[in-house]
Amino acid sequence: MFKLLKKLTGRKQKRINFKDTLEKQSNQKDQSVSRQIDVNIEQIKKIYQFPDNKDVKFREFRIGGTGKRVAIFFISSITDVRTIEDSAIKPLIQTTEIKAEIKEILSTQNVTSLSEIKEVVTNINTGNAVIFADNATKAYAFECANFQGRSVERAENEVLIKGSKEALTEKVIVNLSLIRKRIKNESLIAESITISERSQNEVFMLYIRNVADDQLVGNIKNRLETLNVDAIQNLSLLEQYIEERSFSFFPSILYSERPDRAASFLEDGHVVLLMDNSPDALILPATFWSFFHTPEEHYLRFFFGNFVRLIRASSMFITIFISAIYIAVTSYHSEMIPPDLLLAIAGSREKVPFPVFFEILLMEAAFEFIREAGLRVPNPMGPTIGIVGALILGQAAVEANIISPIVIIVVALSGLTSFTMSDISLNYALRIIRFLFILSAGLFGIVGMTSLFAVGIFYLVSLKSFGVPYLAPMTPNFVSSGDTIFRRVLKNEKFRPGYLKPTDMKKKSNGAIK
Amino acid sequence: MKQTEGKIGIREYVAILLLALGTKLTDDTPSLLYGTAKNSAWISMLLIGILTVVPILFLLKVFSVHRNKNLHELNLHLFGKVFGNIVSLGMLAFGFSALVLDSATYVNIISNIYFTKTPPIAIYIIMGIVCGYGAKRGIQHIGSAAWITLSYLKVTLALALFVAFTKGNSKFLFPLWGPGTKEIVKTAASKMSIFADFYFIGIIAPVVNSFKEFKKGTFIAFSFVLVEITIAIIIYVMLFDFTSIEVISYPFHEAILYISIGFLKNVESIFLPFWLIAAFIRFSFYLYMVLVLFGGIFKIKEYEYLVPVMVVLIVFLGTSPQFATYTVPYLREQLLMILSPIFFLLPCFMWLIAKVRGDFKNEVKKDM
Repeated sequence: MFKLLKKLTGRKQKRINFKDTLEKQSNQKDQSVSRQIDVNIEQIKKIYQFPDNKDVKFREFRIGGTGKRVAIFFISSITDVRTIEDSAIKPLIQTTEIKAEIKEILSTQNVTSLSEIKEVVTNINTGNAVIFADNATKAYAFECANFQGRSVERAENEVLIKGSKEALTEKVIVNLSLIRKRIKNESLIAESITISERSQNEVFMLYIRNVADDQLVGNIKNRLETLNVDAIQNLSLLEQYIEERSFSFFPSILYSERPDRAASFLEDGHVVLLMDNSPDALILPATFWSFFHTPEEHYLRFFFGNFVRLIRASSMFITIFISAIYIAVTSYHSEMIPPDLLLAIAGSREKVPFPVFFEILLMEAAFEFIREAGLRVPNPMGPTIGIVGALILGQAAVEANIISPIVIIVVALSGLTSFTMSDISLNYALRIIRFLFILSAGLFGIVGMTSLFAVGIFYLVSLKSFGVPYLAPMTPNFVSSGDTIFRRVLKNEKFRPGYLKPTDMKKKSNGAIK
Repeated sequence: MKQTEGKIGIREYVAILLLALGTKLTDDTPSLLYGTAKNSAWISMLLIGILTVVPILFLLKVFSVHRNKNLHELNLHLFGKVFGNIVSLGMLAFGFSALVLDSATYVNIISNIYFTKTPPIAIYIIMGIVCGYGAKRGIQHIGSAAWITLSYLKVTLALALFVAFTKGNSKFLFPLWGPGTKEIVKTAASKMSIFADFYFIGIIAPVVNSFKEFKKGTFIAFSFVLVEITIAIIIYVMLFDFTSIEVISYPFHEAILYISIGFLKNVESIFLPFWLIAAFIRFSFYLYMVLVLFGGIFKIKEYEYLVPVMVVLIVFLGTSPQFATYTVPYLREQLLMILSPIFFLLPCFMWLIAKVRGDFKNEVKKDM
């Protein structure tokens, strides 16, 4: 069916007439820097549509010593204007040297010479300032970029009690610095790859050279380089471009806003992608367990960490199954309920006119509505939604005999437990899967649920994320630290995950335990 | 660490065998033995186990020199093109009928004990879809699914058997020799094809990581399953005594209907999902084997496209007998009777041919 859909959408695209403005734009830039300064100025002005483009700034003046004409271009909204004034314009005007080159007069940290207009434009776009001089076939660019953004703040979506509170921000340089702060090693490589043609979005690919598998790095790099799109604004969109199964419920790339998490995955041999405008990192390949875990379980001591894992595993079970089990048991297997409880359930349902299946579906849907509304509502109104949702809807529905009180307990439990899954993708997956189980339980009771579960298991074990089986290292088995449902004592987590084929398997030598 | 593409490790292999063979103690296999061996059925079971070692050893011996061949390729190699194909076709026929009859038994169990109002064909169709999906995913994923669920399934099974054991009466086991040694031996000889699956696993032999793991896995699974089924047979007798157990079709399900745990008086629905998952994995595996064999004989490389056809065929054949409760066990018994001597003799025969052909001469070199 999906193939058919793809075909249909593909066919539709062919009918659209393309008008490639991007090519025209790049043709315009395909020139070298001219010897005559006026030609260059005209060219750049034309490209940037000066003076319509308000924040593109242009200043023309003469060098103090030689009296040579120079022109400086920059975009004021993304540059540090103070730097340009103090280290470029001022020294150039005030200099008295006659023989000095422009490069020597500028007091910025680095100056590059450019000979193509294309390079000039790229530099201006990325926040650098470019100086043209009369009678020179080269232009000079120096770094003075200053993009606006947030400072480092607390992590809001992946909250921990114990451990670092820092979160990644929208500025990739800050993010890089947060990660480099944690891995002070020269083999941590941050390669940059431009992934889109029009907006020239840049992705930083981080990995540790002598740990990560070269083939994996090459594979990911290749996938990034072969993208052919106009713009990819941030990592959430990039994730959907590079994942393998777009129609799968289960995410195959981990998305985290915590620099400590990214760093620990890097140390295991994973690859991390960072990007401007994304307060997060993409970690790949990811297994099912990485979505199930939070860093806190390793920060907490052995028993506490595993206790949290146990809680989360049972929550996952409850959130998927409890509504379905209630339907299956009450409508198909009522003999398994102890008689007293059965009577209680029957008593509470006495006045309810709907079948259990419909009752549960109604309440689950209401819960999803409340959740979505609570998420989108402006902050000051938030608590109102909670009160209206929980008190009025729940209480009144029971009193109006639309819902039996037990259903409220069941649905509240299934909704509450779904919040223990901190990963947003897995959270959505479980919420949707819950409805599938409700449907199957309504149709065939426990047999239906078990069938769906078996199909789900077959599906889950067949998933792969960048060549890594989804449930590795549990099955198929790999050498690893055995960090799946439960974790081991930290001292015994000696190996990097074998499914990544890391260049260096051992994380700790045996001597570490002395 | 040396995970090779398309192969399964020893864990997955053993898990598949434990689930595929272990579920036999939950269907009507034990009752086939009770009919003649009465309360000494467990001795027959042990005897069957001892007898089964012989063909397994011969088969492993033959496979040890043909490590990259599956059962069908081995048949072609040993018996020549014509006879090899005939033997494989025979195997396919037996395997397919076993699959149809076994799945009919399971559907019968579900529809008679748990879902009395649901039409059996609906249950059969669901089962067909799930197992077809599993078989289409391939042996690796069946293995992984088996390994993931194995511990939970075995723990619940052990719990059910343990509770049944505490309710049982050990005096029912005596007299130890029941109907007499002759009857016990006769039962064992005629029903030894209970373990004929061990012949069919030759189909996935080259898929296991190494021959060493195949051999080790086979023995681990064999001993575990033998002990498991024997214990179950003993417990059923202790619970029901031999007079009533003869008329019970599915002792495991009667047992979980009978027992109660603490405040839960009816626990059968708690055990049902675990048993069902084991059944799904079992039939996915059988379906996969039948498909591989079929694909091998008729030279169809992409046999996964046969899944829908095969599933429809199985559902159609499985639902066709009327009074499934009586017909299916009868047919199963007949099948086992026919299969028993074949299962015993064929591996010996294969070994003999391999010996005559001189296949074992290179063995020493290969092992080094």
